[in-house]
Amino acid sequence: MRSIWVVLKKEYLTRIKNKTFILMTFLAPVLIALFYGGAIYFATVGAEDHSEKTMYFQAPYWDLESDELSFEDYTFVPALSSTKSMLDAIENKKMSGWLQINDKDLRNLDSAELVGGTSFSVTEIQKLNNHIKTRAHEFLLMESGISDSTLRQTEVHGGIKALEIDNDGDVANSNTTLKSAVGFAMAMIIYMFIFIYGSMVMRSAMEEKTNRIVEVIVSSVKPFDLMLGKILGVALVGLTQFFAWIALSFGLLGGLSYAFSTGSDAIPKEAQNVPVNELISGFNALPFFDIIIVFILFFLGGYLLYSSIFAAIGAAVNQETDVQQFMLPVSLPLVFGFIIAQSVVFQSPNGHLAKVFSMIPLTSPIVMAVRAPFDVPISEIIGSFILLLLTFVFMVWLSAKIYRVGVLMYGKKPSWKDLFRWIKQS
Amino acid sequence: MLKVSHVYKYFDDHCVNNDISLDLKNGEIFGLLGPNGAGKTTLMRMLATVTTPDRGEILIKGENLGPKHVPLIGYMPEERGLYRKMSVVDQLLYFAELKGLARSHAKDNVRKWLHRLDIVHWADKKMEELSKGMAQKIQFISTILHEPEFLILDEPFSGFDPVNADMVKDLIIELKETGTTILFSTHRMDNVEELCDRLAIIHEGRKVLDGSIDEVRREHFKFEYDLSFTDVVTIPEHLKYRKLEVASPNTYRITLEKDEPFNSLLDWAYSTQKLKAFGEYLPTMHEIFVNKVSNK
Repeated sequence: MRSIWVVLKKEYLTRIKNKTFILMTFLAPVLIALFYGGAIYFATVGAEDHSEKTMYFQAPYWDLESDELSFEDYTFVPALSSTKSMLDAIENKKMSGWLQINDKDLRNLDSAELVGGTSFSVTEIQKLNNHIKTRAHEFLLMESGISDSTLRQTEVHGGIKALEIDNDGDVANSNTTLKSAVGFAMAMIIYMFIFIYGSMVMRSAMEEKTNRIVEVIVSSVKPFDLMLGKILGVALVGLTQFFAWIALSFGLLGGLSYAFSTGSDAIPKEAQNVPVNELISGFNALPFFDIIIVFILFFLGGYLLYSSIFAAIGAAVNQETDVQQFMLPVSLPLVFGFIIAQSVVFQSPNGHLAKVFSMIPLTSPIVMAVRAPFDVPISEIIGSFILLLLTFVFMVWLSAKIYRVGVLMYGKKPSWKDLFRWIKQS
Repeated sequence: MLKVSHVYKYFDDHCVNNDISLDLKNGEIFGLLGPNGAGKTTLMRMLATVTTPDRGEILIKGENLGPKHVPLIGYMPEERGLYRKMSVVDQLLYFAELKGLARSHAKDNVRKWLHRLDIVHWADKKMEELSKGMAQKIQFISTILHEPEFLILDEPFSGFDPVNADMVKDLIIELKETGTTILFSTHRMDNVEELCDRLAIIHEGRKVLDGSIDEVRREHFKFEYDLSFTDVVTIPEHLKYRKLEVASPNTYRITLEKDEPFNSLLDWAYSTQKLKAFGEYLPTMHEIFVNKVSNK
């Protein structure tokens, strides 16, 4: 026990005192915010092509002036009589395209075509398609005697609001979007922490081996204790950093909400219109306690499981370049879990697929985290966690065997076969 | 102090230590000799509790060697290194604490040794800022900081520059005087004759010889005598000898037949009235070593 503590203390203190660590603790939240802000910005606004597009319009059976069809940045002009000059104009980029609708019956736009389609993105074509269909529909309605004003008057607004029965038995907003966001954020954090801190454990084991320190160390402490001390020490580093980030974020949030509530001049008028109150009440309605418990359990469980595997890899290899062959198969379940978390869970957080993968220990830390806000039955959480814990104990035992033999094996690059031989040997 | 009896260690099917037995007395320096790959490091790793024997037992102070003896043992492996990013003090404290020393005691000892070797000003330097020779000093301090009663040094003179090698040698002698039992392996016979009370030679996993240097050399006495005369002499025909070497004019090394009494050589030499020096020739450790590991 004492030697685990000595190793833990050393691993923790040397990292906490490190300048890069201190810098990253303060900078990472800012960087992450910038990264996601940037990503969202480019995904929504930045990537859209703002250039105006003009195209020929030709629909012999549709009584519609071409400029009546124009909308937003898309302008339609009457088609020319010469097909060749139209095609030349498109080829020379003077025009963006040529939309022709040759259907007699507008209910079936089977022969509608857009020449020059490559200059349009998939979303643009979708947009054009929707626009043409809406306009055709309106046209058909008016033809059958429904006036333009009737059309406007009968437009439907609003939509379904999702409600749920909360713990007090009241009906309340279910905030599915918020829940998904919270779940996804937690899965993301766990995913990143496992990789960042798992590889930290690996590099620590590797450093001791490549710098030939390890033989002295294992003459003083059992390899198992050394490995556990490392894993726990780095886990504490991760938790320290995590709680520092939470404190920093709450500080930032507190500052922001103060600015919003007092209507400070520092915040521009438009920004104050953001429905902050709605967001905050949504947050308050979340089962926070349950979520945090699940997060911490699976965060630690996932980290412990993967870092014990990473530690064994670090002890087995002789140099950084040998790591790859072992890292890939080990990281696959993690990446896979993340993909499952992204796709399936957003669609059906309590569906079969989500249930299965939140039980399998190699993917459960991530998949369970993303499900956490969606009222996962307590039996599932406990079952999955016990499974995770048992797998961790088994993996530590297995990794310790590889670790014990691996740290003293210098020279040739180890293969998977060697690892199995070491497990049998020790 | 330490008793190794009938120890075997296998790697896969290969027997690396084959029925090794050793007996180290309190406060002696014991040399472990053998060519590369003889199994010295494997044996030392077992003594340092890094690995365990597959068969046989190791007793330290009469008890089965185990984790609780870690504080008693200091081990400097042949493959050695230190944390590059850690400061000298932190590093030394860490190693001492791992060996079970309380932090305050460890601090005192670190201070003592840094003073002793006149390197106090290195205390807060990181290892990567130090030269190789400096790192070697720190390495040796880290091995003895916890005041081990039993010191295991694997090739302590290899990889060290001559100045540091001398420092290690002096410290080994000093530690012996304070009662530390020391086991070290080496290729260099001059170190062996200079330092060791007793020694063992290991070859291909087996112990081929052990004892004190005098015992060993006497055991390998081959009836060789060195004689030196003031003038030319003729070896008489009645003397039964196997070999005669002329080292320099009037100086001979003669190897007698086993049954030829040494007195007949001495009587003749004396009778020439030209005898300057006479002595028996004991083989050097180097000769014995080469002989042992090439014969077997």
